[in-house]
Amino acid sequence: MDFTYSAKDAAFRDELRAWLAANLPAGWGETVFGPEDEDENAMFRLDWEGKLYAGGWNGIAWPVKYGGRGASLVEQAIFAEEMARARAPEGLNIIGRNLVATTLLHHGSEEQRQRYLPKIISGEEVWCQGFSEPNAGSDLASIRCRAVREGDHFVINGQKIWTSFAQYAQWCILLARTDTDLPKHQGISFLLVDMSTPGISIRPLRQISGESEFNETFFDNVKVPVANLVGDLNGGWKIAMTTLAYERGPEDALGRQIHFKQELDALIETAATLKRGKGTAIDDPTVRQKLAKSVVEIEVMRLNCLRAFSKALKGKPRGPEASMNKLYWSHVTQNMYETALEALGPLAPLDGGDPLSPGEGRFQLSFLRSKAFTIYSGSSEIQRNIIAERVLGLPK
Amino acid sequence: MDFDFSDEQYKFQETTRGLLDKNYDLDRLRKLLVGDGLDRELWDRLAENGTFSLLVPEEHGGMGLGFVDLSLVLEEYGRALVPAPVGETLTATDAIVRFGTDEQKQRLLPLIAEGKLKIVPAIAEAEAGYDPTDIAVTAVPSGNGWSISGRKVLVPHAATADFIMLAARFSEDGPLGLALIEPDRAGVSLREHSTLDPSSRFHELDLDSVAVVRDDIVGGEPTDASVTRLLDAGGVIAATMMTGISGKVLDTSVEYAKQRTQFGKQIGSFQAIKHRCADMAVAIDASRSAAYYAAWALAEEAPDRARAVSMAKSYCGDTSRFVCNEGVQIHGGMGFTWELGLHFYLRRAKVLEYSYGDAAYHRERVLAETIDELGIGMN
Ligand SMILES: Cc1cc2nc3c(=O)[nH]c(=O)nc-3n(C[C@H](O)[C@H](O)[C@H](O)COP(=O)(O)OP(=O)(O)OC[C@H]3O[C@@H](n4cnc5c(N)ncnc54)[C@H](O)[C@@H]3O)c2cc1C
Repeated sequence: MDFTYSAKDAAFRDELRAWLAANLPAGWGETVFGPEDEDENAMFRLDWEGKLYAGGWNGIAWPVKYGGRGASLVEQAIFAEEMARARAPEGLNIIGRNLVATTLLHHGSEEQRQRYLPKIISGEEVWCQGFSEPNAGSDLASIRCRAVREGDHFVINGQKIWTSFAQYAQWCILLARTDTDLPKHQGISFLLVDMSTPGISIRPLRQISGESEFNETFFDNVKVPVANLVGDLNGGWKIAMTTLAYERGPEDALGRQIHFKQELDALIETAATLKRGKGTAIDDPTVRQKLAKSVVEIEVMRLNCLRAFSKALKGKPRGPEASMNKLYWSHVTQNMYETALEALGPLAPLDGGDPLSPGEGRFQLSFLRSKAFTIYSGSSEIQRNIIAERVLGLPK
Repeated sequence: MDFDFSDEQYKFQETTRGLLDKNYDLDRLRKLLVGDGLDRELWDRLAENGTFSLLVPEEHGGMGLGFVDLSLVLEEYGRALVPAPVGETLTATDAIVRFGTDEQKQRLLPLIAEGKLKIVPAIAEAEAGYDPTDIAVTAVPSGNGWSISGRKVLVPHAATADFIMLAARFSEDGPLGLALIEPDRAGVSLREHSTLDPSSRFHELDLDSVAVVRDDIVGGEPTDASVTRLLDAGGVIAATMMTGISGKVLDTSVEYAKQRTQFGKQIGSFQAIKHRCADMAVAIDASRSAAYYAAWALAEEAPDRARAVSMAKSYCGDTSRFVCNEGVQIHGGMGFTWELGLHFYLRRAKVLEYSYGDAAYHRERVLAETIDELGIGMN
């Protein structure tokens, strides 16, 4: 076990700090924030991702061959710490970077990797994930969206739902049924779909938070070249499981932790300045206890990721443990936002629309958004089933 | 960076588990509830296995390793509910290694390494909270030394210890410090407490003008730092042992859930049970992250030592509370019996939870450290 930094690590940190100082807008995180309008914000995040790439700071853990810098674990940890400290914005192409790229690295052909990875890391091509359907959520293997082979392409018909970022995406990873006779897990294929193909339409869905990040996506005789099949025909389920393992795993969580740490720091600062009676909100011992609990839990989220990475680096295979990671962080972060509202106390109901709202309503918005954490990437109940059955060996 | 253990460290854990599984079970713990509560044979086996030489520097006959090397075996000691003052002696060893004078190190460390000394810290007082500034037992100057009077409570295994490492204030308004005294030194009297965990053998320690000289004081001079370090080391050891206990209770519960049937099914197939087990597993895994990191911070005297220790003590404490409670629930009526023995884990976890600062005390310390780090001026 070792958490010390070498001179080379320190140089990496300095280089990143200097780059952030030069590239974040002046006053970033203090007086200057991302745009409030959803679409503008998405474009701002995409733009930031492009900037990161240009500076050599996007997808740092990726192999050099595909545009990354093959960053070591300690460099990834430093990256996370510095991005949190600088309150740097999140990139937009999370699905591309964390899910699609990792899946293609495992299961894609070299041709597919060469074609798609560079444009993911550069932020040129944003991806969405077409897995869930109206009648196939937790029971994902029961998807009905059909792909029928006709010559050198598949023809897709069906509907996906909850497709995040479909409105910004150029590409989609799609799970489709390619054989209706086989048992349900065995008739599924994993396809790469160009979102500009005729026959695709999307309809935004309004979320709890009032935002519309996710969509319904319809496929009406959409033609997808056979070359866009990943892995074997009818072999898509196994590939989808790789995608989900990364969606639930430490890469994804370490990136998110940056954001939660920023929010928690902002919350503590808000509580320390928010007048309450004769003092400030942070004088309340109940609030202090809860804030401290979140400090511990968010820091443990980071430590969990570093432990999982360290094991993975020694070649210990990735397994159902990713579900433990996901179940942990989704609940502790939901608790954190409950605490945020409690810390705001009597002013908690005032959201961003009101001039008196502490923190310009960011905590109310985040609180609402946090309700999704225990639903997407597999609900908590599903994660618990996986942990109980596959990690602990309890009966089905 | 590497947040994992080496093969040797895992091997050490494995041999320790093997040794404890083979030589020490709950029946043996039950037998220790009478008599002086010390399992001498087990103590000697643990000593042979290197337990006490680990923290001792090589020049004093030890292995010269650190807290990180201890983490996994501490978990095993927790898991097995080792009865003797093992964690206590390790806590005190660290204080001597870090703060002792050369003479103290030469005199004590070789004996500790061989397992010949049992040393137990005496910290708690009946009218104090967890903050060391509450310590009221005071040493007053007397002759060329000090005279200590007052009362300590909840001193584990005090009657069988060779030394008590006493935390006291040296002169009113003076610094805190640690004094090593024998339990039979003139003016010391012991009374065994009645407690939640009879296997921990807690004692009240009454001090009536106990004479202490410079050589008794760890480091020769009292220092606040020696006391804070002792508390931090004790806290991490308790946190790691609680994690071991939690792991054992989960394993026992999972086994039971696989074997017990009701309504014609294994109870482990009911989601109400399996989801509990999953939540327990997640909390225990996170406890490990917290405890292992704290061990590293302690070993390296990292700048965030205080925060890391307090994170571990609060998180692992909350987890062991949750896991032990759920463990009893999963066992139904059997869980409530004296016979099954699950309560021994609950009891030990409980006393560890309230030693070296409880979760609420440590959370407050985490927040204070965080506010400090964020540079927020307190108003
Ligand atoms: C914000 C957000 C973004 C999303 N983005 C995407 C995306 O980009 N792409 C995509 O493909 N999907 C996406 N999803 C979909 C997400 O993966 C599903 O919502 C999720 O898998 C749950 O499926 P469901 O909504 O059909 O709920 P259901 O499966 O109907 O579940 C309803 C309730 O029943 C419980 N339940 C179901 N089965 C069991 C069981 N066996 N045991 C115990 N309880 C059970 C669930 O836990 C849940 O509480 C997103 C969802 C959200 C909220």
